[in-house]
Amino acid sequence: MNFNCSLIFMRALSACAVFSLLSVSGLASGDTENSGRQSWRTLDQLTPWERERIDLRPNTPRDKKVPYLPAEPYPFTAPYTAEEMGFRAMNFTHAARWSHVMADAFGTITKEGYLTQGVTVAMVDEMDAPNAASQIAKKPGEAYSRHMYYYTYPPKDDGVQEMWVLRRTGLESPAKLDYFAYTPSLRRVRRQPPPRRETPFPGVAQSFDDILGLEAWEFDWRLMGADTLHETVRFPTNRKTITLAEPNGRFYDVATDSIKLMRERYPFYTKDGGVNCFVVVGTPKQDWLPDFKVSKVIYWLDQYYFYPLRIERFDEEGKLKMIEVRIAQQENKALPNGEGFASNLVVYYDAELDLMSYSLHDAHLMQEWTEEDLAAFTPDFMRRRWLKYPQQSQSMVNSPEEYYLRPALLAERFPSERSMTVSPTIAARIAAQNKAGHLVFGTVEK
Amino acid sequence: MNQMRVVCQNWLDVVVEPASRVVSSVIIKVFQHPVNMVGALVVCCILPAAVLAKDDFAAFDRSMATFDPGGKYLTKPVERTVPGLSLNGTITHWSDYLVHDDEDIGFRDRDYRGLQMQTLVEVAASYRFSPNLELTSINHFMYDSVYDVDGGDGLYAKRVDDSYYKYNTFDRIARELYVSYRTSKLDVVLGKQQIAWGKMDGQFIDIINSMDFRESVQLEAADYEVRRLPMWMANLTYYFDDVSVNVLWIPDFEANVNPAYGSPWQSPLLPPGDESARNSNALLNNRSDAAGDRVLQTKRPDWTHLSDHQIAARLDIASGALTWGLVYYYAWERDASPFVTGRFTDGSGDHLIITPEHERLHHFGVTSDYAWVAKGVPLIGTLPVVLRAEALYTKDANFIDYRNLAAVRAGGSGNGISEHDTLRAALAFEFAFPSKVSVIFQPSFYYTFDWHEGLGVGYGGAIGDEWNFAPVFFISRPVQRTRDRLMLSATITPYMSGSNRDYQGTKTKLMASYEISPFVNGSLIYTDYHGGNDDDLYGQFHQYDNIGVELQYEF
Repeated sequence: MNFNCSLIFMRALSACAVFSLLSVSGLASGDTENSGRQSWRTLDQLTPWERERIDLRPNTPRDKKVPYLPAEPYPFTAPYTAEEMGFRAMNFTHAARWSHVMADAFGTITKEGYLTQGVTVAMVDEMDAPNAASQIAKKPGEAYSRHMYYYTYPPKDDGVQEMWVLRRTGLESPAKLDYFAYTPSLRRVRRQPPPRRETPFPGVAQSFDDILGLEAWEFDWRLMGADTLHETVRFPTNRKTITLAEPNGRFYDVATDSIKLMRERYPFYTKDGGVNCFVVVGTPKQDWLPDFKVSKVIYWLDQYYFYPLRIERFDEEGKLKMIEVRIAQQENKALPNGEGFASNLVVYYDAELDLMSYSLHDAHLMQEWTEEDLAAFTPDFMRRRWLKYPQQSQSMVNSPEEYYLRPALLAERFPSERSMTVSPTIAARIAAQNKAGHLVFGTVEK
Repeated sequence: MNQMRVVCQNWLDVVVEPASRVVSSVIIKVFQHPVNMVGALVVCCILPAAVLAKDDFAAFDRSMATFDPGGKYLTKPVERTVPGLSLNGTITHWSDYLVHDDEDIGFRDRDYRGLQMQTLVEVAASYRFSPNLELTSINHFMYDSVYDVDGGDGLYAKRVDDSYYKYNTFDRIARELYVSYRTSKLDVVLGKQQIAWGKMDGQFIDIINSMDFRESVQLEAADYEVRRLPMWMANLTYYFDDVSVNVLWIPDFEANVNPAYGSPWQSPLLPPGDESARNSNALLNNRSDAAGDRVLQTKRPDWTHLSDHQIAARLDIASGALTWGLVYYYAWERDASPFVTGRFTDGSGDHLIITPEHERLHHFGVTSDYAWVAKGVPLIGTLPVVLRAEALYTKDANFIDYRNLAAVRAGGSGNGISEHDTLRAALAFEFAFPSKVSVIFQPSFYYTFDWHEGLGVGYGGAIGDEWNFAPVFFISRPVQRTRDRLMLSATITPYMSGSNRDYQGTKTKLMASYEISPFVNGSLIYTDYHGGNDDDLYGQFHQYDNIGVELQYEF
């Protein structure tokens, strides 16, 4: 009885909190959009509510034992520093940070339209508590998550498996993961060298760091301002529906123009369906990442959960290298403060190569692994060639013309901070795609 | 060593400068000796690209990316019709051609240019009765048209064994056939299967199955999957948290298949000459040897005798950045040892009676790997590294003792066989350099205990000497301009030796693989044998440089 009362009280409190946040956000969005001003806001243009939510102090108290961590305990409370936002964003890596199984449909398309696609079934064991808190609390070098990947498509990759053991980094422990691979043609489980973090996987646009996420303590953080995003991943006009899968394997169709940035359960959309974001920039710390081939990373983080909806990576010369855009979905309702949101669809765009990859997480099945199940999370398990959870996806693209559009450059936003120039040829292809509503291949007039 | 330096220098040129001397020399060799397949490649790949406009070629490329008739019309419809059935197919064609002129080499009548024109069709089906119970069948259909197309007198191996030419027996076609039952912690796999132990390139503890060595020194790690000879066995594995124990009980036995008389890779050092070998049915049927000795029926293990069965066990442990394991195998020697069991005299003189017999062996092995990231490496910064180590100690391996054999032939006592323990071991360092350059340096070592002059070859021991040392160097890099579809790689294997010989030659393999589509892959391979004397491991094949084409479609 007492428990029920407490629950009702907590729900009421949450409802009040959500209502007040909604009210404030509505005002905030109204301030920016109804006035007809630009969607992006520099620090001096922030709304009062946004100013209350941020902490612009350059130096904040440090943790006594681990000086590269903030003194305030994670997950922090408002107002938030840019650094704290960077730490909060660690919750939202490519794969959800709780134990689960899913089918990951992925693909890459070149500027000529050469399309490759595949499906891998992922089993994730988040070894302690869900999300980033346990990773932050670990000692450098300790493992915090284990991933098993079983490739089922295309046929040449059927049975290829990988195991990743994710480790917390430290100044003296730069290895981010142990990496094992099983190749059916060799029938061998082999430990692979830990991948170079910013180097893309073979043949695709995204790197291991794009998948594993950045560790906030390796970067210096600064707030650039705020912005309202109305689109991230863009479907072509010739792809009206997409087939998705429920955890139990049931397939269902969704109209592509109905898919919102953070799907239906996100409560803080602006009146016109946008998502208000803080825009922060992370620059690599030289002592942590001395030869990192990235000069800065810019995040668009939703202002409530700090979910990164758009990420830009710039090369050593400050030129745009990569745009990552996401559609998220609340997959884990048990977690508070929006921590249950996870990537549903991600598009990675290499602006230098004009190469575009996607990854769609389908049939997401939450798991609480039993002791017996955990035997599956060892390198030797891969020798068994046992696909324990045959999750499937029918979300792959049918033809190159129906592939996702290149993400918008948003070149007019924060122009002093972002060098968004692309080659004239790529600019022409972007213009052609925007005009046609789908990717255009072949010669395009500049 | 000088020759090795030259090879390495040449190879370095390949890395730093595309128009290298090595590549140039390969191109010159190829075009000085026109090969049909190269011409076909030019026609198939280069001309269309040149003739078709850029946009047309891109359109062709786009259509190829989704071209999968096998999947569209066969596997997917069947899988939809029969729930629980999984069907896969692979069609692979390999063609290898010598770049040297026809000429007799040693005892071989080498009047052919084709080393293989093999087409292999693999059909794999598995049916899942329940999440835990599955039946798997993998079938091979092979035809090597080199015996029909090339027409050289030196190619007559199909008279020795039809399997060099085509697979037409149940044993060869039904390659794997097993039932597997799995629970979270236990695997039971019963039936005909192949087992690959170990983590290295090359076979160190990968010892369970015998091998089809028809390609001799050109057999590569990538070929093991189709060249292992599966056996009927029970395969049980139990998984603890970070430990697994694997036990094999193998009633079946398969002997190695070696290059036979009349096959392209038969050693030029093996008498008699092809002229007399191809006319001797006794020799081809293994009833006689080159010296005119009588060879009796080979004594093979008998599966109906429990004491003839083979048993193996493996323990694997994962502990953070380190994984390691131990193996033991109570096995039969794969190649029969030719024991002298008597003598006789005929019109041509005194001869021996030979009884080939497979002998018992004890194998003890260890495997390990460890990963770390090196910081502050000059010019590179951080460098991810993996170290792998593997070793196999074999007790009482049989070697032909030519010194004793000569004494027996002269009337002395003995059986012509000498027992020696052997050790083979390797360390492999794998580095992930920037720009997706992958480098593996694998020093491999082979040692025969109590070695003496006149010993032949025995399981796991050095070849032609007390010890062999092969520091294998491998490098690969995808070409970013092709979106990593083109992968270039080079493998250099110098073979050093002591205390008798110094250097037995170097094998160099240059390979370009291209992803034609997600379903079709093509490779162009050049293999060079360089240095060493005519009776050395690689030296005997220095006129066997060849260029190969591989095409594979998987659906």
